[in-house]
Amino acid sequence: MEKILLEQALPRVFVSENIPASEVWLSAATTFERGNLYLVEAASGGGKSSMCAYIFGARTDYEGRILFDGEDVRSFSIARWQEIRRRHLAYLPQELSLFPELSAWDNVQLKNRLTGYASDKMILSWFEQLGIDSRRDYPAGRMSIGQQQRVAIIRSICQPFDFIMLDEPVSHLDDDNNRIAAGLIAGEARRQGAGIISTSVGNHIRLPYTHTLRL
Amino acid sequence: MIGKILRKNTSAARIAGFVLSNFIGMVIVLGAMQFFRDARSIWTDDDSFIKSDYLVVNKKVTAANTVGAAASGFSAAEVADIESQPWVRRVGSFSANDYRVLAGVNSGGRGMSTYMFFESIPDSFVDVPRSQWVYRPGSDEVPIILSKDYLTLYNFGFAASAGLPQMSEGLMSSIPLTLKLTSEDGTRTRTLHGHVAGYSNRLNTILVPEAFMEETNRALGTGAERRPSRLIIDVSRPGDVAISDYLESHDLEVAGDKSASSASFLLRVVVGIVLAIGALITLLSLFILILSVSLIMEKNRSKLHDLLMLGYDTTTVGRPYAMLAVWASVAAFLLAIAGVFLLRLYYLAPIEGLGARPSSPWLMLATGAAMTTVIILLNLLTVRRRVRAAFR
Repeated sequence: MEKILLEQALPRVFVSENIPASEVWLSAATTFERGNLYLVEAASGGGKSSMCAYIFGARTDYEGRILFDGEDVRSFSIARWQEIRRRHLAYLPQELSLFPELSAWDNVQLKNRLTGYASDKMILSWFEQLGIDSRRDYPAGRMSIGQQQRVAIIRSICQPFDFIMLDEPVSHLDDDNNRIAAGLIAGEARRQGAGIISTSVGNHIRLPYTHTLRL
Repeated sequence: MIGKILRKNTSAARIAGFVLSNFIGMVIVLGAMQFFRDARSIWTDDDSFIKSDYLVVNKKVTAANTVGAAASGFSAAEVADIESQPWVRRVGSFSANDYRVLAGVNSGGRGMSTYMFFESIPDSFVDVPRSQWVYRPGSDEVPIILSKDYLTLYNFGFAASAGLPQMSEGLMSSIPLTLKLTSEDGTRTRTLHGHVAGYSNRLNTILVPEAFMEETNRALGTGAERRPSRLIIDVSRPGDVAISDYLESHDLEVAGDKSASSASFLLRVVVGIVLAIGALITLLSLFILILSVSLIMEKNRSKLHDLLMLGYDTTTVGRPYAMLAVWASVAAFLLAIAGVFLLRLYYLAPIEGLGARPSSPWLMLATGAAMTTVIILLNLLTVRRRVRAAFR
């Protein structure tokens, strides 16, 4: 997948409202291209998470069109979406969606076993770099939000991808961990020649962005 | 790991509830079915030539009949009236021979012979394989179905008093009969062999194939029009009171074992009711399982959604629930089969005492398997629908 295109896209809840000028909503064409690093900035309630969910196929309550390499995603079957989610599009949702009853390690393996992407050694080194290797057998539900965020970051890169979408990925991380996480994600993206789409309400992950969009 | 996540909220009690109710429903359905198949032979097996739904009727013999022989026969109008009754499927007439029959037996140099008679009914009423009940025109071999009562009369009445050997059914069948047919005026004769093809409890006559009767009556008969003295009726509702009322009001008698048809009809009605109850319970148990599976999946909807967000395909995500439904259904099926066989152990000895021959359980097993397959398929469909509903 080379290009994600949003054409006249608008969340349905915004249709009857007056929304402030946006570089994404209702724009004739917002393009995300592979290899570029995008920062999407918005105020709370601006529809960041909605945009991510639309692009990821998790929600369809929008007007306009979203196209992957020219194909309208509304026509995709469930099987097609699952293939895209395993091979082409990685996503770190804001709510993390970890399984609280599984350990941190098992949460990551739940994804990695599906994609067969990273070796145990690789994953362990990511745990170490983010300083949560001592917590790997802890149930995710009993970890702090910041620790859970780091587990979710590791899980999101356990797959091949053309784009990775990060929805407020470092909202609960300190500067050091922000930098380490940024390094990990940017490294993986560079290795795969992938694009990064990161949203933020202020505290954004420290990446060398090529484009900044105002939502 | 997926199983660990998705089996949360599974209620063992609900699944046990399904297994139990499905077990009960299936035992009733399959048990009733097997019992019917086992017990049916009490009424049908001892007379495989004539179905129990057939009635043989004749006019009551009174002093008036004795004077004018023709009066005891059925006129065309009377036959048509019977045919028009709602409980009648079809009617066949008995034809009698219009010539003399002398039957002889030769065994070990001792010969004996007797005058006798033949009757025939339409072949479609005789429930014997075509190969055994066939007469080729011109052939000198003819099959005969003999009333069991005649053999009994011979064995315990005649043979005992005359010092003749008793004969089993098998032995009787193996003895060739020489039949000498002579026309009324004695000018035309024909000799041929007869063999006993079977014995009937319900036909008080000596039956030959229809084709044979037509051919010999044409060749040796007087050609006079003769009314049938007995009719065989295929009844659509055996045991119906309308039948006995009609027979009563028209002075007709039913020959043979009258209880068989109503008993087998009663058996069918009772088994039908029991089957319906069992089917209803099975249907309800199906709903219990569908609802249980739906409820668990609804409670785990967000987990299903999250797994789909990770990229797991719908089949993998649905598998724990599909397996649950499959195992619960298979367990209920196996328990039900065991239950039916236990039940059978209990009832088989008594009904065998009544003359039943147990029938094979394959049809029952196949029906159970088919029901289980339907239950499983409907549940798989439910699982699939629920998983797809959790996608967005």
